[in-house]
Amino acid sequence: MHSLLSLGFRACAVATWLMGAQAQADTPVTYTDQGRALFRFEVPDFWTLRTGGPRELEDTALGDARAVSRVMGIRPVTDDNVWMGFVSPSRVSSIQGGLRYLEDIDKFLVKDPTVTSTSDTRIGGLPAHVVRGTGNRDGRGVNFTATVIDLPRDRVAIGVAILRDGADPSYVDALNAVFASFRSLQ
Amino acid sequence: MTRKLMKRSVLALGLGAASFTLSACDGVSFGVGYGYDPFYDSMLWNDYYHDHDVDIDVDVTRPDRPDRPDRPERPNPPARPKPPIAKPPSRPKPPTARPPAARPPIHRPSPRRR
Repeated sequence: MHSLLSLGFRACAVATWLMGAQAQADTPVTYTDQGRALFRFEVPDFWTLRTGGPRELEDTALGDARAVSRVMGIRPVTDDNVWMGFVSPSRVSSIQGGLRYLEDIDKFLVKDPTVTSTSDTRIGGLPAHVVRGTGNRDGRGVNFTATVIDLPRDRVAIGVAILRDGADPSYVDALNAVFASFRSLQ
Repeated sequence: MTRKLMKRSVLALGLGAASFTLSACDGVSFGVGYGYDPFYDSMLWNDYYHDHDVDIDVDVTRPDRPDRPDRPERPNPPARPKPPIAKPPSRPKPPTARPPAARPPIHRPSPRRR
């Protein structure tokens, strides 16, 4: 009788825990470009979102301007060892183009990048290409996972997740939950 | 008697160690705000729309880059409705930006005393 009761309690506890885990990331965010909603994802609880907008940046030394699409960055509020960013660059329409775009930003994101694996997968039901690797930044090693997601209507979404060495490995679940919540909105 | 003392001291030491361990897990309020956000800033900067004519001999296998997109033509925006809050008069801007003010951490309730 006693063991039955405790079993019941345990089942209840597990159920509550599962419900809590499911409701962990429920702040949906929509990425738009010129009023067009492209995709959405969910920001984990106790993470902070930084959103930008389309603009042109100029190298003050060389004076060359570069077009920049909206970049959205998320990270835990109290931990800067983890970072994840999304961008949907204009006029990049295929996974191949997305990978070329990545080539042109990864040298700024990570120093001495070494690709450890690449794979084709599906994210949010869409074809995607994942590049995993390591590098360093500010004298510390980092792990990066760059993904190019093929959105309908000739757009791609590029997502980069970065874990610095020494970051809490449980953040991997949070990052994967963000990818799991990714949905195209077209 | 000694057994009791040992039990107590083990308990006290254990609790002390546990409190240190737990406080180590406490989130440090480091990097409040976005003063330095290297990954965000780096994701903005790209060479994709930049001309690469310089190293075309080195990188022969590289496929042609699409043209850099034209600067979008922006029509004159319509007159904006006047917001209820007026803009403050502009102050002269010093050439050097002020560093972000160091804010003390938000007060946390102290642990309950017994």
